[in-house]
Amino acid sequence: MDEQLAQARAGNLAAFGTLVQAHKRSVYSLALRMLGQPDLAEDTAQEVFMQLHANLRSIESSEHLGFWLRRVTTHRVIDYLRQRPSVAITSLDEEAEQIGSVDSGDPLLQRQLRQLILGLSPDARAVVTLRFQEDLDPLDIARTLNMPINTVKSHLKRSLDLMRQRIGQSS
Amino acid sequence: MTDDLESKLRDALRPAAPRENFEERLMARIAAAQRDPVKRRGAFTPTPATWWFSAAMAATVILAVGVQHHRVDQENREKGLEARRQVMQALRVTNDKLDLAYRAVRDQSGAIGGDPGA
Amino acid sequence: MIMHKPWKWTLWLALVPALSFAANPRLVLPDFTALANKASDSVTITLDASMLSLAARFLDPNDPDQAAAEDAIKGLQGIVVRSYTFDQDAAYKASDLDGVRSQLTAPGWNRLMETRSQKSHASVEIFLMTDANKAVGLAVIASEPRQLTIVNIIGAIDLEKLHKIEGRFGVPKLDLGATKAPVSH
Repeated sequence: MDEQLAQARAGNLAAFGTLVQAHKRSVYSLALRMLGQPDLAEDTAQEVFMQLHANLRSIESSEHLGFWLRRVTTHRVIDYLRQRPSVAITSLDEEAEQIGSVDSGDPLLQRQLRQLILGLSPDARAVVTLRFQEDLDPLDIARTLNMPINTVKSHLKRSLDLMRQRIGQSS
Repeated sequence: MTDDLESKLRDALRPAAPRENFEERLMARIAAAQRDPVKRRGAFTPTPATWWFSAAMAATVILAVGVQHHRVDQENREKGLEARRQVMQALRVTNDKLDLAYRAVRDQSGAIGGDPGA
Repeated sequence: MIMHKPWKWTLWLALVPALSFAANPRLVLPDFTALANKASDSVTITLDASMLSLAARFLDPNDPDQAAAEDAIKGLQGIVVRSYTFDQDAAYKASDLDGVRSQLTAPGWNRLMETRSQKSHASVEIFLMTDANKAVGLAVIASEPRQLTIVNIIGAIDLEKLHKIEGRFGVPKLDLGATKAPVSH
């Protein structure tokens, strides 16, 4: 992958395409889970990769590329959500009536969990998505979002507590 | 219970793929962004030879000046991008060494009093 | 108290050496060609005010890293980095840095901290030069078994902005307002 990166930096579009292929799911999904709208998530992902193409020379390694993509994507979405807070929020009370226990109907629960995430603040959405989609630890999340680590941990705890409460898990 | 919710969250947040023509559209946008400024186009109308010669000379001069400006712009751009690359690298090296100091202090704190984050 | 003229001149002469060695935030780095020749990789960056200004025009404000970088370099007069990576341990000597360290003992420079890690066998020294309570120079010397790095930042260093960089690229939160130089071993 470092070889592809070096070639992309040298202007090789095919190599850049390989990088896009490798990272598009992650970038698109980050945007999708935070925005809740596939078209908007695709536009965001496209813009992130356009920005990457313009800034390839500043990317130093494959690891840095992953970090850069996560960072730029989450920052773009958070900025967007802060300007348009009404995007993709459904009434959690309506959802609550349909929520069953953790063990019932996985696809349904998955959709409900995703809806609950969309009810979180932009920062909390980013924290939860980076944690459970990208499997980042709190320190890496803190670096990605430029957020104090205690704030990351606080967002995680409160978000999980809220979800647990809404789902109403049986002890 | 926590582990169960967390594993369900991982299932729910498995990465999804964008539409199949995602890369095609992206590459088209990049190609459009890279295209030179729109070249002047137009049908040539027949003109007297002397006018044609003068117009050709004028066009050559304009082209030469334009190419020179483009070359200077291009050189400035390359210098600017190189300067930017060096700034980013310098800041990264600096931050990397500051992080080294931090980790040394953190390791010492951990050795003396246990994990401060516990 | 009236000083005799000869005594006054003697006083001035005594001061001149001190004045001539007044601290300069821009370090005069020795010729590291020998080290560079031994190194498997080296980073040599010398950015003056005009280069920093040029770079700033090309930093993308929409990119969080580049936006932070643009903010950090505002007001700076220069950034100098020399970093040498070697294939084996002990490829350089402590005495290679004598010329740099002697400048950092001049009045105006304060050693903020020195860390030594037994785990990584690395030591990092951080120096700050202040003038009327404003930071005007930063120097970092990082000595690792297979890498030697010297960083010198010149100009109106905004400690707040440096704090803002902390957390990006993994930069730690440092108490850069401290004037003492804690040493951890």
